[in-house]
Amino acid sequence: MLQTSNYSLVLSLQFLLLSYDLFVNSFSELLRIAPVIQLVLFIIQDIAILFNIIIIFLMFFNTFVFQAGLVNLLFHKFKGTIILTAVYFALSISLHVWVMNLRWKSSNSFVWTDGLQTLFVFQRLAAVLYCYFYKRTAMRLGDPRFYQDSLWLRKEFMQVRR
Amino acid sequence: MGKKQVRPPRALPPAPSAVQDDVSQSRPKRKKSRTKATLASASLEGFDETVVHRSSEGIEPPTNELKEHPEAPVQKRQRKTRLPLELETSFTQKKTSNPSLLRNENGIDAEPTEEAVIPKPRRKTKKTQKAQLQYANELGVEDEDIITDEQTTPEQQSRFTAPTGISQPVGKVFVEKSRRFQAADRSELIKTTENIDVSMDMKPSWTTRDVALSVHRAFRMIGLFSHGFLAGCAVWNIVVIYVLAGDQLSDLSNLLQHYKTLAYPFQSLLYLLLALSTVSAFDRIDFAKTSVAIRNFFALDPTALASFLYLTALILSLSQQMTSDRIHLYTPSSVNGSLWAAGIEEQILQPWIVVNLVVALLVGLSWLFLSYRPGMDLSEELMFFSDVDEYPDTEIKASS
Repeated sequence: MLQTSNYSLVLSLQFLLLSYDLFVNSFSELLRIAPVIQLVLFIIQDIAILFNIIIIFLMFFNTFVFQAGLVNLLFHKFKGTIILTAVYFALSISLHVWVMNLRWKSSNSFVWTDGLQTLFVFQRLAAVLYCYFYKRTAMRLGDPRFYQDSLWLRKEFMQVRR
Repeated sequence: MGKKQVRPPRALPPAPSAVQDDVSQSRPKRKKSRTKATLASASLEGFDETVVHRSSEGIEPPTNELKEHPEAPVQKRQRKTRLPLELETSFTQKKTSNPSLLRNENGIDAEPTEEAVIPKPRRKTKKTQKAQLQYANELGVEDEDIITDEQTTPEQQSRFTAPTGISQPVGKVFVEKSRRFQAADRSELIKTTENIDVSMDMKPSWTTRDVALSVHRAFRMIGLFSHGFLAGCAVWNIVVIYVLAGDQLSDLSNLLQHYKTLAYPFQSLLYLLLALSTVSAFDRIDFAKTSVAIRNFFALDPTALASFLYLTALILSLSQQMTSDRIHLYTPSSVNGSLWAAGIEEQILQPWIVVNLVVALLVGLSWLFLSYRPGMDLSEELMFFSDVDEYPDTEIKASS
């Protein structure tokens, strides 16, 4: 059974990482006095996303549903989050690489192209969706039903076996 | 250890009656034995003393034994080796037969006194073999029988019950608490364990679900704030733009000059607030449940409309990032390497102003829609209170 204190701790860590992600997405364009600052911010942001992915998977592994072998059920329930997080991670890395590549020589130059603008829009949009889905998943995993045997789980198990 | 273990048995009901019987029967003998005992063996003095002040019965048997069986100490020794082990498991029985013995300071000392207490009547007639037979017979005896037996012939009973105690059924359960065994009635134990179960169920009043729920509500508060703040900011922004641009957008260079420091910070702030508001609005319609969200949208549910408007505003706002950066890097066209060639200002700025206006309208409308039903939160209902709603059919089927 998931302990309340443990869950609170994990949830706060997840929210901290999400807040950092949101902060960098919002204000990284302002903090480009030197390219190194942006580089560090981007690296930490990508690591934060990676950490969040690891944490959410550890939470999955901790559920009774997963331990009962119903990985499929978990994946089915949270596939939106998993896919979106992966997509967002890929978009973030590509945007960061692209932007840093263009801005490394002179950080305050105008580097926008249509391609970059498009990628930027998709990345920022994915960030919002990722934030929403991740937050939702993290809070849903606090549901005690995922950590104990129940009639619902047995029913799902039967459906999966069919 | 011996001392600690001894305590619980005292509570057993038959013990006091047995002791009293013993006392009453043994009293007359006691005086005789005492005089002899003091002379006969110094070795027994030790445990005699310990027993004396606890019960009269304890004193008598050793003296008798000494008197009639001088070889008793040897037998005692032999038994001693075996007894400590028995003490751990059979103390309950001993207690019923003679509680005073069990109060001795250690198991080894206590046992000899018991042995000494027991022998009197039987040893005179027959001996150990017969005793063993009875031992075997008594294995099948039930609790009540033992007690009555003890009351009628307490000394006989007490003599043989000590070893048999190991395998006799007892109505008590011995629970190890803080390194000592304590007697407890089965029924009571069952009750207490049930109580523990109940309290375990009741105790975590602050469950993980409550944590999630409180975080969700906290975020809804942040969202509520950001909705209003965003609407106000967007309106203020568009007002500032129109004021700086002058009548009929005639003074765009003035707008660029004054607004260039403001453009990028505002763009960043707008993204932050839009992101928060969009997530909050999605929360309210439980966007992840697409079917519910789409149904609500087509039903022109204000909250679903607000979410859609926020998403549109977010995309529009993001699409102006390039223009915002261009404004941020504004230098007059006369300056070398300027991004703003003469004459293209209006061409670039006009759509940007329109988009900003639209964003302000969308954001303001969303805020109005959301404030129409501020208490609505489908996520909370579906995520946290879905035990009954989400799987009602499965549970009904399973129960039928």
